[in-house]
Parts: sequence; C-alpha cells; structure tokens
Amino acid sequence: MNLALRDMKQHKGRFLSTILGVGLLFAIVLAMNGIYRGNIFEGTSIIRTANPDLWVVERGRGGPFNEQSILPEFFHYSVAAVPGVEKASPFIVYAVERLIKGKSRRFTIIGYDVFSGLGGPQAIYAGRGIWQAHYEMVAHEKLGVALGEKVSLGLHTYTVVGLTKEAVAPDSEPLIYLSLPDAQEVLFQRDNEEIRNQRIRLLHSLTQRGLSQEQAEKLLPDLEPDTHLVNVILVKLAAGANSTQVARHIEKWLYFSVYTTEEQVQLILKGRLLQINKQLWLFRSLLLTVAIVIVSLVIYTFTMEKIRSIAVMKLLGAPNRVIIRLVVEQTLMLTVTSFFVGAILMNNLHQKFPKLVLLTMGDQLITFLVALAAGLVASLLGVWRALKTEPALALGR
Amino acid sequence: MPILEIQGLNKVFGSGHLEVHALKDVSLTISSGELVGLMGPSGSGKTTLLLCVSLILEPTSGAIALEGKAIYQEGWLAGVDVSRLRREKIGFIFQTHNLIPFLTAKENVLFPLHLAGCTGSEAQTRTLELLNYLEIAERADYLPALLSGGEAQRVSIARALANNPRIILADEPTASLDTVRGKKVMEILKKIAREQQTAVITVTHDARMIEGFDHVYHLKDGQLSQTY
Repeated sequence: MNLALRDMKQHKGRFLSTILGVGLLFAIVLAMNGIYRGNIFEGTSIIRTANPDLWVVERGRGGPFNEQSILPEFFHYSVAAVPGVEKASPFIVYAVERLIKGKSRRFTIIGYDVFSGLGGPQAIYAGRGIWQAHYEMVAHEKLGVALGEKVSLGLHTYTVVGLTKEAVAPDSEPLIYLSLPDAQEVLFQRDNEEIRNQRIRLLHSLTQRGLSQEQAEKLLPDLEPDTHLVNVILVKLAAGANSTQVARHIEKWLYFSVYTTEEQVQLILKGRLLQINKQLWLFRSLLLTVAIVIVSLVIYTFTMEKIRSIAVMKLLGAPNRVIIRLVVEQTLMLTVTSFFVGAILMNNLHQKFPKLVLLTMGDQLITFLVALAAGLVASLLGVWRALKTEPALALGR
Repeated sequence: MPILEIQGLNKVFGSGHLEVHALKDVSLTISSGELVGLMGPSGSGKTTLLLCVSLILEPTSGAIALEGKAIYQEGWLAGVDVSRLRREKIGFIFQTHNLIPFLTAKENVLFPLHLAGCTGSEAQTRTLELLNYLEIAERADYLPALLSGGEAQRVSIARALANNPRIILADEPTASLDTVRGKKVMEILKKIAREQQTAVITVTHDARMIEGFDHVYHLKDGQLSQTY
C-alpha cells in the first residue's frame, strides 16, 4: 500500500495542476539549456564550417568574428609563400541589412575565392556551388529564396545557384556566399554622389598643398580608398607541416596574428558570446531554483493538510521512516512527472522557436538529475514539519 | 489478570509559579475483559491520563506496568520501545474516527497490520474478518468521506483491533454519534472486551453510557476516585 500514491489519487486535480505548472517551469529550464547550446552552436558554426588549418588576421586582433580585422587582399600571396602552406585564401565576412523580396532582412555576406579558395559552402543540399567569378550566390535556406531566384544587392543582380543549411552567422542570421570581388563590391559600394564629393575634396586638398589642378587629377586614382581588403586569410597546411611553426613564422615575418580553428572558437566563446551565455546560465539556474521552491511549498502545503492524519499514523505506531517516505515519495513523484511533462513539451515545441534550441540528451539527463536532487532538498521542509508533529494531535491536543 | 497497572502516577507541566499538576498520585488496575469508563469535567486530567497510558506522554513520576511487565518506573525503562508497544499492544478509537482520508475503509484497517509487519493474504484475511465482525464489510472499498458517522466509527474500531491489542483506549467514542448509534458502539466495545479479553478504557462525558461499564472512575483536579 503506497501512501503517497493513495494521497495523490485522492487529490488528483490538485496534483495534476501542480504538475502542469511546475512542468511548464521545467520546460523553460530545458528551453534555456537548448538556447544556450544553440547559441554556442550557431555562434561557432561558421568557424567550424570554414575550418581551415589557420586563420591569419590583422595583428593584435581577435578577428574576424570576435572583433574587426582588416588586411590588404594581396597579402594572401605572401602567406601562400610561407614554408608549410599549401593554400592561402582571402576571405571576407560582414553583416548587412538589405531588401530581399520587398522585406528588409539582416544577413551575413561571405566572400571567398570561388576557384581555388577555402571558406566556401560545404553542404549544399539543392543546386550547386558558385562556378562563375560574378553574379552567382549560394544562400542559406533561412533567407527564404529559391533556386534560380534573382536577388539585387548593390548595383547588380545575383542568381541563387545553390541552397545550404549548415551554418549561420554568430548572431543567427542567414549567410549568403558570393565571390570575393562581388562581396567587396557590395561591401564597399558607395553612392555616386559620395564618390564625386570625395574626389572634389581630395582635389581641393591637393591643390591647397601647392599642386596644380592637372597634377592633382593625375594623383587622384592613387589616393582613392582601396577596396581590395579582406577580413582574414584562410590557410591550408601542406601535408606534414607543423601548424605551430607555420603560425609563428607568419606572426614573426608577416606581422599578423594567427589562430587555429579551435582558438577562433575559444575567442568567440570567451568574447562575443560570453555575456549572453552567462545570462542564459543565470536564468536557467534561477528558473530551476524557482521550480524547486514551488515544489517545496506545494509539498509543505500538502503535508500541512495531512498533519492530523500524520499524527494518527504516529499514534498508531508508524515509525518516522513511514512518514518520511510519504513526504519524500510525493515530492519525487511530483518532481519527476513535472520534469517529464516539461521535457515532452519542449522536445515537441523547440523547433518553433525563432532561434536554434539545441536539446541534447546529456543536458536533459543532467537537468533531470539536478531536479531529482533538488526535489529531495525540496522535501526537507515537509519532512521536518511532519516529523515535528506530535501524536497527541490526533487526540485534538 | 491485570493488563494495566498504574501506581502513584504524577504528571506536572511547567515549573515554578506556572506549574500545573495534571495528575496527582493516580493509581489504577485494569484487568483483561473489563470495560472501564473514565469521567470528569474538562481540565480534570482525563486526556493527560490517556496520553500517559498510551505511552505518548512521559509521566513525571510513578510506575506503569503492561501485562505484568514494568515499562515505566520514574522514567521509561531501558529497552522499552514505546512505538512498538503502541503498535502491538494498544488500540485507539477517537471521538472523530480519525480515519486516514485517502485510504479506503479496508486500507485503514490494513495500515496498522502493515506497520506490525503483517502483509499479503494474512493481512487481507484479518482485515475482512474484522470488517465482518463490525458488520461493515460491504463498505470496505469506500473512502471515509463516503461513510456515515456510525460506519466510520466502526471502521475505526476495526482498525483499533487489527493487531489484537491488549488495551483499547477510546477517547469519547460516542460524542459525535446519536443515542442509538452511541449505544451500538458501546455494545460493540463491550463485546470486544468480553470476546477478545481486551481491556477497554473509555474516556467519556456521556452519562447515558455509564450503565454499560464494568467500572467507572472519576477524575477531578488530577485525582482519581472509583465511583462504580
């Protein structure tokens, strides 16, 4: 005869509504776990997808994802010439907001060397990769464009030749892959009026310094801003090359900073993603605490309602372990069933969230064990109250 | 044969000027098969005596023996397990039946049997026997909320008898019942005392029930006297 089950059966409505309420709390805890994991996954997916052996960035910077990094494009030739380097490929990545199909959309543009380079889309599930130097794009499915569709960016129109769903930008925005020159054009493309104004300012500046108009106009092309810039040079090492040696060589002789893919991941985890991850961690801890406090108070209330029955049981000679078992079993049943309600809910609804909610078995198991342990702690208040009850209370004293 | 022997029992609550002498030198001997009434005004010490006899409250001084074995002599004697004694030797009947509300009538009777280690078919058989004895077997699967006052009191009596106690302590068992049902309960208690050779001690205010008792004791200001 299980006293805990009997009591719960007698008060089905109350227990069910408590299970539902606490279950929703657990669902949110699991969602927080999933959002945290999803945040890390999306934050690092572009890094893991590109996955070169080395990332060469502007000296002293933790770029290109955790902070800004700008290098002249031609430096990829210098890097390619370093002993141990099989391939060095320029790479550009930046976030924009443009009109796509009449709606303003945020996305990230990736520009890469489409013929020989690294950093292009790896898992195209529809269509193909970029084969031409210009005017073709591969888009992430989240952008909502179809194969063959034409998208206007800047001065030109790009045809969607392939669709991918493997990686997103660290801020979860979809990616668009373009050839490097196309990406640079979109990034650095300026208004014609602005270009004219800049030329006028430069000419004026030069003539102020004593140059004639003719001399100034000759010099003008050399002074206009260089658009052949990239954020990072991706490196593939030759077979047998030592990555540390190659990295130190590039740092010393070419004056850049060099990271492995794993180091890039750590940079972003400890940099750009750190605060949001801490926030999520804090929220899920708070929610778990709230869930347990609620369970504790509910069990305390249920125990108080049974206090006379507990007194009768003690008067009839029930040892403390029978009383403890009643309270603890109820708490654990409440906690466990609430957890499963929350888990079933979240496992069926997580895909409807706007951002990736990555639920892992490991996280769910750990949360379950934590909930179980916390449930035991939650039962302490009810147990204390039950054990404090005097048998004489059964006689109304 | 004496089932319960109390010698010079005292119980004092508090100390100094707040001291309350609830029991004063109470001596009492009850034999098996006897139905004994304990009467007195409110505050006379009836409940305190009941609590001491039921081994819930430790007296201040005196001696208590159960079935000839001393269990209290100016303090609980070493090796005395009061919980086990309560479980095995003493049955309780309350004024308001005090059945556990989430257990059926049958389960309420099974509960003390399980506490005493009697389980399975043996416990089921004993339970049905008792429910039949109290003529309440047809309501075995009902929850207490669905039983009448008299039915619930009979289940309470069945529960009290579950482990063949030597003493049954009944705290105003007829107080919440009408005259007819009250008389019926007293008849049952008398039948139990005679047939089971159990000592039944009944605390009551109900003067209508006096003639049913073998002996009646009166408590006033903590002092016991036999009036009948």
